Amino acid sequence: MVQSIQIFDPIKTKKTAKRNRAIFVSLCIFPSLLFLVMFMYYPIVETFRLSFMKSSGLGQDRFIGLDNYRKLFVSEEFRAGLVHVLTWAFWSIVIQLPLAFFIAFSLTFYVNRVSKPMRAIYYMANIMPSAITAMLGKFVFSPNNGILNNLGNQFGWDWLSNMDFLGSERLAFWSVFAVATWAYTGFPIIYLMARIEQMPKEFKEAAELDGVTGWKYAWYILLPNLVYPLRILAVLCTIGSLKLFDLPYMMTTGGPGHATVTLGISLYRQGFINWQYGRASAIGVIIFLLSLIFTIIQFSGKKEAA
Amino acid sequence: MKKFTLVCLALVLVPLMAFAQGQSDTAAKESGPVTLTIWGRDIPDTAADHIYVHDLIEGFQKANPDIKLEYIPLGDPGLADKTKITMAAGVDQLPEIVQSWGGSVMGGYADAGRLLDLTSELASIPGSKAASDAMSWKGKTYGVAPFFAVAGIFLNEDIFARNGLKAPTTIVEMEAVCDTLLAKGIQPFACGAKDKWPALAMYMYLVNRYGGNAFDRAQARTLSFADDAFVNAAKTYQMWVKKGYFGTKPLGEAYGDAQQQMAIGKAAMMVTGSWMCSQFSNKEFTDQKIGFYAFPVVTGGVGKVTDVMGMTDIGFFATKNAEAKKDAVVRFFKYAMSVEACASEPGRICAVPGVPAKAELTGMASKVFAASQSVQFWWDQDLPPAVTSPLNDTIQSFFLPNSDVASSLKAFEELVIDEMGPVKK
Repeated sequence: MVQSIQIFDPIKTKKTAKRNRAIFVSLCIFPSLLFLVMFMYYPIVETFRLSFMKSSGLGQDRFIGLDNYRKLFVSEEFRAGLVHVLTWAFWSIVIQLPLAFFIAFSLTFYVNRVSKPMRAIYYMANIMPSAITAMLGKFVFSPNNGILNNLGNQFGWDWLSNMDFLGSERLAFWSVFAVATWAYTGFPIIYLMARIEQMPKEFKEAAELDGVTGWKYAWYILLPNLVYPLRILAVLCTIGSLKLFDLPYMMTTGGPGHATVTLGISLYRQGFINWQYGRASAIGVIIFLLSLIFTIIQFSGKKEAA
Repeated sequence: MKKFTLVCLALVLVPLMAFAQGQSDTAAKESGPVTLTIWGRDIPDTAADHIYVHDLIEGFQKANPDIKLEYIPLGDPGLADKTKITMAAGVDQLPEIVQSWGGSVMGGYADAGRLLDLTSELASIPGSKAASDAMSWKGKTYGVAPFFAVAGIFLNEDIFARNGLKAPTTIVEMEAVCDTLLAKGIQPFACGAKDKWPALAMYMYLVNRYGGNAFDRAQARTLSFADDAFVNAAKTYQMWVKKGYFGTKPLGEAYGDAQQQMAIGKAAMMVTGSWMCSQFSNKEFTDQKIGFYAFPVVTGGVGKVTDVMGMTDIGFFATKNAEAKKDAVVRFFKYAMSVEACASEPGRICAVPGVPAKAELTGMASKVFAASQSVQFWWDQDLPPAVTSPLNDTIQSFFLPNSDVASSLKAFEELVIDEMGPVKK
């Protein structure tokens, strides 16, 4: 009779444990990986593929090479959208960020009974749904019964009551931008406040000893130390502008003419109204690539700062 | 080792069991009474403009207890967007019935094989030809339209009476009326050009009155959209905008604002669809007396007063997903087109014979419809979707004082060439 003897082999046991762990980890990762592939990477690849197709979303797609891109760049609507998002990004950086810095500094440096509720008030616009922000914007700029129009009528200021804030090609973009500035400045304020409050107290004490107080402290001490956060905010502003859709769409639907159209609005119209899935995908690709370029800029900035 | 195997098995089996549970739920659902899912636009409440859908659902359920209706209101543009996305995904996720205006959008779905051909089943249902045509595509019928709308002039009778004015029958008379109204500080027209599509109704009529069937020819590609009829109509339109016929801020005002201007008597006229009859007849909405008239003719022009622009007001089509439930769908469509179901509608023009107009205003609109010799389907429901939004953009550009309408139409024609081909010589 042959008796089998089990010999304890530490190397084999270690290998088995390692293999089991690998299987376990793979099984745990699998659902999230599947989710990412299905809902993120596949749509990105599919968007790139569709951008080279003539597609209505129904029936057969036809390969047309770069024709969608060519048609976009000769389309007045797309060009207007591109110019608008870049203009929007530029002015967001030039107006919203200095404003945010100014408010963030005021709220952290001059702490009193008013400053605490003011923090909540400034941020409140940021947490409101875009639909409500747009409604409030319309409430202010509406041509016949808006606050500004009524104000003009009340004081007999015809120049104000005659202004068509949302219906004039000249004013519509800036009216929407004004609402956006009110709504979107909340986040940079909170972000900069957090960064200012994180700074060592010694900075402030040393500056005070040298007689650098108030706005001089803001300009000479704080600002140089906030260059990197401001750069990140600038990149976020730019990417946010490239994807801009909700506020201008709900306030003006991109009009009058193409006065407030953005790449997002153009994409929506091409895909859902005009049934031009290929062209809509091409806009999606352009937004993606532009966002990628700005993200790379962000990372290169990080390296530099490091 | 055993423990490890169990954990791995659980990781794999739990999602599988959840999936199987979902499948068995679906199977259980299907074994009950026939369920028809309907994607609709309006909330089925008892508000004046929703009452028909409300009574249709309730009435059909009472009369057909063996069929369960699941009505899902998706609003606007929710219904259009969701339908489009789901159609693109295939047939399986589609409901059995979708509310629709028919026309080219429905035609696109029909071409892609997503709709159920009910030509023979619906042939016996009595109704207006224009409404039936609207729910047909390339000779096949896919649904029904119990209500049909025509465009015309809603006119404030009180303002006209106070100023000794009569409903205009020619464009020259209409311009004289507008000048008189402007001189008295009354805005001649409400439009809602901010929303783009409301500006189309007047332009369709102007093109027809100048060029007769110019649109039909342009659609058939025997005429350019930059032809004289289109350009002259656009020039007239822009001239009226510049004269202030649409107020000082026409592009800042949406369709809802235009309705309000009519409701409070700020504007004297509005060229739009007869779907507004119920609202303009509602004393809670307006205390003004409003009438409905055919659009005037151009003296020496080609179009006639009996050429009318129209579109489906309420319609439904069946999807290919309803193939197994064809009988239930046909029963629903027949009920939707019954006098009983249509009787509750307070304001729309009914396409079903034997349903009297409840409101005086609807009666006026019905007369315009009844007198029509040709009904041109609303352009943005008739042209391929690829060019309808640019069409509305083009028409909105007529409201910009410095825009060159001829260039705008030429740019639109180039887009049409791209999508529908060049003009055939």
